[in-house]
Amino acid sequence: MYKYNFVYELKVLVRNGWIQLLSLLLLGLFCFAAFNGSEKVEKRKLDIQAAKTEVRESDHDMLMLLDSVEQGMEVSASRWTIPTSPTAVGNYHPRVADMSPKPLAFIAMGQSDLFTHYVKPTMTGDDFTLNFTEITNPVQQLFGSFDLSFVIVYLLPLIIIAFSYNVLSAERESGSLKLLASQPISLRNWVLQKISLRFFWVALLTIVILTLVMMFFGTNTNLKDWFSILGITIAYMLFWFTMAFLVNLQTGSSSKNAIILLGLWVVFVLLVPSVLNQLGSTLYPMPSRTLMINEMRNLKAQTVKRQDEILDNFLRDHPEYAINDPNQNRKFYHRYVAAQKLVKEELKPIINKFEQQLQKQQAWISQLRWISPAIVTQQSLSTNAGTSTADYENYRGQVIQFAEAWRTHLVPFLYNNQSFTSKDYDHLPVFTYQPLKSNDSSLSWLVLLVISIVLGATSIGLSSKSKSSSTLAT
Amino acid sequence: MIIIDQLTKKYGEALVLNQLSLNIKPHEIYCLLGANGAGKTTTINLLLGFIKPTSGSAFINGLNVSENSRKTKRFLAYIPENLMLYPTLTAVENLDYFSGIGGKNLSKVQLEDFLNQAGLQKGAFHQRISTFSKGMRQKVGIAIALAKDAKTLLLDEPTSGLDPKASNEFGQLLHLLRDKGVAILMATHDLFRAKEVATQIGIMKQGVLRQQFNAQNISLPELEAAYLETMDFKELEV
Repeated sequence: MYKYNFVYELKVLVRNGWIQLLSLLLLGLFCFAAFNGSEKVEKRKLDIQAAKTEVRESDHDMLMLLDSVEQGMEVSASRWTIPTSPTAVGNYHPRVADMSPKPLAFIAMGQSDLFTHYVKPTMTGDDFTLNFTEITNPVQQLFGSFDLSFVIVYLLPLIIIAFSYNVLSAERESGSLKLLASQPISLRNWVLQKISLRFFWVALLTIVILTLVMMFFGTNTNLKDWFSILGITIAYMLFWFTMAFLVNLQTGSSSKNAIILLGLWVVFVLLVPSVLNQLGSTLYPMPSRTLMINEMRNLKAQTVKRQDEILDNFLRDHPEYAINDPNQNRKFYHRYVAAQKLVKEELKPIINKFEQQLQKQQAWISQLRWISPAIVTQQSLSTNAGTSTADYENYRGQVIQFAEAWRTHLVPFLYNNQSFTSKDYDHLPVFTYQPLKSNDSSLSWLVLLVISIVLGATSIGLSSKSKSSSTLAT
Repeated sequence: MIIIDQLTKKYGEALVLNQLSLNIKPHEIYCLLGANGAGKTTTINLLLGFIKPTSGSAFINGLNVSENSRKTKRFLAYIPENLMLYPTLTAVENLDYFSGIGGKNLSKVQLEDFLNQAGLQKGAFHQRISTFSKGMRQKVGIAIALAKDAKTLLLDEPTSGLDPKASNEFGQLLHLLRDKGVAILMATHDLFRAKEVATQIGIMKQGVLRQQFNAQNISLPELEAAYLETMDFKELEV
């Protein structure tokens, strides 16, 4: 039976124009989404490039100024911007701490529409004021980016529903089901074969189109990442075909099937992710950001009043600075940096609370992600693209470490009242982003495969309990 | 061979088939006559295993339908009132598909031969079914039965909507199958066609087989009179 179903199902699909329409639709959607994604990645690359160019030009000016000063020439620059001062170097010539997009970044915007890809930490800037978010179009926030991940997670299930909602009911409604049921076959197996064949054709089309798209847009993609994307996409498609199989066996008319499958789409793709997010926020509410800013201002105001005392305490803790500078010439930045360190230490519990709550929220959602295959797929694709929450957390952590390294490198110059020279330029810390080791998403697609198989088997079991194969014809 | 023994079907309290017993041997065509709701289609659905009887049993080629629904389908062919095939496939392809899923792997020559035996014009063999008239589709249905080498043929009002010429051709095809030893049960409203093709005729009303005749022993006017008399049976209608 399988051979005949395979050959004639393809003939029917081709002659109905379904395969052609589906191929064109998938090709159009995937190409547009990949183009859209790669355009955004390109813009980010250009932004990073522009920031780096700006730093190179700024460094060139800095070295010119240093050279002039070192040769004893007069320079026409404000006193506080002359780079012999470590605070001038630290504040006016910062490095770019950038997160270069991974080769597959174009497949999923992930968190990249919310978070920036580069920052410039300064010596006297606070870590908590480093701006990791970008102002984005609110409409885009509402609907998400039209990238491959969006096409796969949101649109592909709709195409699968359109392709499979009426496998059995169409036969019943056209009148051919009775003739079919009068053959010595199991209708349940027949439906399973029909749905499997449709899955095969859609999966084959998707693989071919995704491969073409990847060859064109994802030039540096390695095979492992490629198989990972294919794996999760195919597993997600299988889940939706299993849903279609279940509905085909359990219900009656085509319209009823379509409504039920669309309802499942709303539940798994829209409702569950939204409800999980809402519940996460309710169970682990974030502390008030306004309160944190107020606390920070209060602390700063208090430290301003106590700057002399704070500096004394700081120098007591760092006797090396007192030894190296016998003049003990202390100015504004000496007090400011000492006070900043104290503010940072005192704010640490509040900031930690923020981070802990955020981690709890994410851990909660991560634990329950298996409820919705859409979440699992979205997360896997974002992980492959290097735009997941974990990637941005990793980036943020590295930037904060770098900001600390930048300060730590320049603070001794400040407290030793030592001038920054052109020889010191080569020793300035440089930020190099270390991406997360590629997370293996094979667990995700294996679990999705198991869920689909269990659902399929359950639907066969439920159907055989309620109806015999032949009675499906009536 | 079809044996129906005390077959009864109830939907809740509604009795749609009441202790029907029939015995249709090879080379016999049994025509079941009756108005809508008489229980003709229910009988066919029970023989196809599409519904389960409330009591009684039916046998196809000696196999109990309820217990061996799929096995019995190896020996039977079915042509509904409106035979719907796959419109985008040709006659040969439809025949190949239905024979194939039924377990018969036939060559193109064999497929064309069966369509030929069923009286389909050669020019239509490779045309899509969407261009076929009802009569032509019914011929493809007969070809499916021939290809399957069915021992039993169930027909549910197969001539309704056919023009007299097509209906006559269809009757001749049934004779062809009868001569091959097929046991045929045909539910119909068409008294004239029943008289033409049947060896046995039964008249049903409200799930009960009221009268049975040997087709050779009754004329068409007599059959018509018996039918009308059965339909007007006052006592049961109360």
